[in-house]
Amino acid sequence: MSAGLDLEFSFSQVLQGLGLTPQLAHLLWLPLPMLLVLVAAVIGVLVTVWLERKISAAAQQRIGPEYAGALGILQPMADGLKLLVKEDVIPAKADGMLFTLGPVLVLVPVILSWLIVPFGQNLLISNVGVGVFLWIALSSIQPIGLLMSGYASNNKYSLLGGLRAAAQSISYEIPLALSVLAVVMMSNSLSTIDIVDQQNGAGLLSWNVWRQPVGFVIFWICVLAECERLPFDLPEAEEELVAGYQTEYAGMKFALFYLGSYINLVLSALLVSVLYLGGWGFPIPVEWMASWLGQEVDTPVIQVFTASIGISMTILKAYLLVFLAILLRWTTPRVRIDQLLDLGWKFLLPISLVNLLATAALKLVFPVAFGG
Amino acid sequence: MSFLKKVANYAQEALDAANYLTQGLAVTFDHLRRRPITVQYPYEKLIPSERYRGRIHYEFDKCIACEVCVRVCPINLPVVDWVMNKDTKKKELRNYSIDFGVCIFCGNCVEYCPTNCLSMTEEYELSTFDRHSLNYDNVALGRLPTSVTSDPSVRPLRELAYLPEGSMDPHNVDSLKPRAGKLPAEIIQGLKETDSFSEDKQELVDDSENLDTLGSD
Repeated sequence: MSAGLDLEFSFSQVLQGLGLTPQLAHLLWLPLPMLLVLVAAVIGVLVTVWLERKISAAAQQRIGPEYAGALGILQPMADGLKLLVKEDVIPAKADGMLFTLGPVLVLVPVILSWLIVPFGQNLLISNVGVGVFLWIALSSIQPIGLLMSGYASNNKYSLLGGLRAAAQSISYEIPLALSVLAVVMMSNSLSTIDIVDQQNGAGLLSWNVWRQPVGFVIFWICVLAECERLPFDLPEAEEELVAGYQTEYAGMKFALFYLGSYINLVLSALLVSVLYLGGWGFPIPVEWMASWLGQEVDTPVIQVFTASIGISMTILKAYLLVFLAILLRWTTPRVRIDQLLDLGWKFLLPISLVNLLATAALKLVFPVAFGG
Repeated sequence: MSFLKKVANYAQEALDAANYLTQGLAVTFDHLRRRPITVQYPYEKLIPSERYRGRIHYEFDKCIACEVCVRVCPINLPVVDWVMNKDTKKKELRNYSIDFGVCIFCGNCVEYCPTNCLSMTEEYELSTFDRHSLNYDNVALGRLPTSVTSDPSVRPLRELAYLPEGSMDPHNVDSLKPRAGKLPAEIIQGLKETDSFSEDKQELVDDSENLDTLGSD
């Protein structure tokens, strides 16, 4: 694998040329990718909300938002603006402190998880050694925020919603972690960069989805459950629980939940594509194409080309998964709480354990194909 | 052995579930390419059917103040304000009003009016800021509503039952093309033309013709 486009290196080269110390250059560099990823996440949410409304409308033979901008593209902005200027209500008998802290605790870990999402060889905020593990650890903070906001609202719907959310997150965390573990076992690393690199030896054929089909399905189901997407949206089942733990929230605090759930959806789709669908990899490796065309991989033009293909492939794969999630939303009925826990504990957990053991065995028997 | 059977059953169920899920997804996906069936309301409107029971129209000059409309109304809603003219010994009508905030649009008054001064219109947009402004007097009742077909700012759409044969989408339908099936008058015409035409059948048709003329009044 080539080093690829390294923006940080070039940036600090320029600054050091101006006479700054490498440490100072690094310090000046740090806020740039953070801001960029934050903006990317928010724009990703706007696009997802628009897609969700448009695709939902199409699935129900409606038109959907149409007049706010071309094809209603500005509708999510209008929604956000409305929430921004709405009155911030804290119920009289609610615990103000916890009520305010709840949505923050839900949103912050999700945004923090974008730290490890790679868009290219060097196109991520930080190549943390414990990558996916960090994500799993951060996503465990979320149920605390959900339970907190549900309990602090002093409302029975909110409390039930919060409890359901906590139960759901905790029971789906385990098969999720186990299926990630199988991938990690094959790539010998927790770093998202290494996981993608290991998948891109032969393009499409070397993606993890072929070696981990069961893990892929388990991971996708668990991710939907973690995001509270429709077959598993019972923490906020509107027919039974009004809006679950969000019932008492309005204005910007509600917007934090809303933003959090959609950032989480995009993040999960990105992680599915990173773990199973070859991340930024093009179905045919770019290195091969470059060599067919007689180009050096390290020339600046090819590097920029590779990086832009990487970014667009990552986003394309993620949004295909988002599309699938929206389609699933209008196809599957909601499961009951007992069915949800049955599926989590009695089906996904044993299957993911078997999958992990099978991966370990295959790794010992065929070390070439399963990353010995 | 029974354990293996259990595992096999379990796997079979999981596979079936996956199969059904795929079928469901295919159905949802197929809906994405279908045309929206919604009517883009303020810009497009459905043409109400000819028997639509909308806001009631009233002709002051035809009214004889008999108050039949009041008596047949389930809640005695129409207000007929008349005085007896001692000289001519006739009723003199001063005002007539119906409160459409209370009216249930049953059409009894229209049905029983002896002079046909009451009739149903196709107007259904009766929203107001104040419910008292729904109390229409004889001037307001005498106004004719804007027809959906003649309003230049509205694109009239035919309802499904009124579309020509074979077409399901009211957009891009030739407005002169007749609806599917036959009108009652056409059916009767067809019956008259048939050779085997007995006397009792003639009677029946006459009845239906009468009914038809009554209905179209």
